[in-house]
Amino acid sequence: MNNAIEVDNLTKYYGDLLAVDHISFEVKQGEIFGFLGPNGAGKTTTQRMLTTLLEPTEGRIVINGHDLARDAYPVKRQTGLVPEESNVYAELTAWDNLMFTARLYRVPRAERAERARELLETFGLWEKRDVKVENFSKGMRRRLSIAMAIIHKPSLLFLDEPTPGLDAQSARAIRDLICQLNAEGPALSGAEGTTIFLTTHQIEEANQLCDRVAIINHGRIAAIDTPERLKRAFRRVQSVEVALEPDGRETSRVSETLEVSLAVLPGVTTSVKMGDKWRLYTEDPSALLPQVMDYARSQKLRVVSLSTLGPSLEDVFLEITGQQVGTVRHETNKRQGAGGRRGGRR
Amino acid sequence: MKDGWMQRLRDELAQAWAVMAKDIKVYYLFPGMIMTGLLSPFFMFFSFSVRREMGATQGVARLLAMTIFFTAAAAGPFIIPLERRLGTYDRLLAAPMSLLTLLLGKTAVGAVLSIAISAVSLAIGVVVFGASIAQPWLLAAGVFLGSFSFSALGLIFGSIPTRNPGDVAMPSLLLRWGLLFVSGVFIPLAEMAPVARALAYLSPLTYAQDLMNHAVQGMGLLNPWLDLALLLLMGILFLVPSVKMHQRSRKLGY
Repeated sequence: MNNAIEVDNLTKYYGDLLAVDHISFEVKQGEIFGFLGPNGAGKTTTQRMLTTLLEPTEGRIVINGHDLARDAYPVKRQTGLVPEESNVYAELTAWDNLMFTARLYRVPRAERAERARELLETFGLWEKRDVKVENFSKGMRRRLSIAMAIIHKPSLLFLDEPTPGLDAQSARAIRDLICQLNAEGPALSGAEGTTIFLTTHQIEEANQLCDRVAIINHGRIAAIDTPERLKRAFRRVQSVEVALEPDGRETSRVSETLEVSLAVLPGVTTSVKMGDKWRLYTEDPSALLPQVMDYARSQKLRVVSLSTLGPSLEDVFLEITGQQVGTVRHETNKRQGAGGRRGGRR
Repeated sequence: MKDGWMQRLRDELAQAWAVMAKDIKVYYLFPGMIMTGLLSPFFMFFSFSVRREMGATQGVARLLAMTIFFTAAAAGPFIIPLERRLGTYDRLLAAPMSLLTLLLGKTAVGAVLSIAISAVSLAIGVVVFGASIAQPWLLAAGVFLGSFSFSALGLIFGSIPTRNPGDVAMPSLLLRWGLLFVSGVFIPLAEMAPVARALAYLSPLTYAQDLMNHAVQGMGLLNPWLDLALLLLMGILFLVPSVKMHQRSRKLGY
């Protein structure tokens, strides 16, 4: 399989600040490639260099066989860009936005209207085609922004944080569209399965959508693999999740005892309270399970639920980015309440 | 090979046209802007002619030069920083066209506005003040090249690496007002001191004013062909710092 993107030793300095530190990676044609990292890690800087918007300090970028530094024109014709902020013209209608982009990308005159109609219908905006975009919701702008990015049928699409700030329904619709674009290239983008470079800090989104994921931290690629292989490589962040109920005793006092007792069970690396449950991180969940049961029996506690969890991509991400599993989760949990868990249950 | 080159040239021209048409639609075609465009020549004419002994032809020549000068670079310097802030400029920079094409499209926006408002100024001069035009073709060429040159001048300020339109307002205004006083608009070139005249020759407005004098009054100080050539040359030269600043912006991340 040919590479859609080849990046070699890519580096970007802003003055003395090293934003991207000699990174190298490849993206295969037809793949959804996730570029994952915390805020300020260098994701958007990398993406801006890949889309010619930012000049690298050092390194080489080859897209679809063209060296970006020498031959950007054919690359620009073959790529589409959906930036973090939906950069649509609010003063124009959805139709005018699409027609302008079609002219800019030299879509043949005879095909422009048909293509615009097809995209507006696919993205559920046909009825709003004559409405000025300033009256659109954030989700509608996002959909229009994606439609504008693929009107010229690019073989490679860059998506920067496509779903933050959207309601659950709109975010789901965008994710479905990304999958559809990747799987049914000819129908939507015209290419044979559009390659997608997805920049995101939403771990579960990357887990759901991406064939492979690169995790960037402090400007460096910390890991790059399929989500499942990444999770397997981090066995130490497996866990046992248990909910225990006191047998007639005061709940708060039991909770205090549990905090100490569960954390010192053999094999537990970290324990985190998550709502009414405790998550005990361990390298060997099967060895920990009987110990938890023994402890519950000895303390006359009722086991409400007990399950083992594989490492989620979020756990892997936190490990790689040097944030202790548990600490961050605990803080997230405090902020969001019991529903704050984002990691995938396995 | 030649066909490929020609096709590329056709594409680039069409893209510059698309950028211009979009900017006119987004930034100029709304009632407030149109009314300003129609009324400003009236105010400009009265502010420079009231209580002065000035004939209609002389007044119209000055009015035209000033109209071209002020309108060609009126909004252009602010559009690019605004588009940078809104993220829409990335859309243009990522599109398959050269930087020069983009800048030509942006220059054309100011030039078209300037030509349209100059036509209004001319109509006012001819219909209301009874001015006559000595050399119409020279007038047309002067308005066209002057508009292009001044719009390219304004674009230099628009190319400053910033996302804040306010950052370009002050330098842009200062330069334009400064040029107005050294370019033979208020004091005829022939009456200027040698030092002031040397300064005036650096200003594109000098050549536009001289051209308008030729076209409307039938007389000027310099050769009109020299005026036209210098306006064209300056317009092209003004694009160079814009290109350089855009290249710098690409390094800085604007």
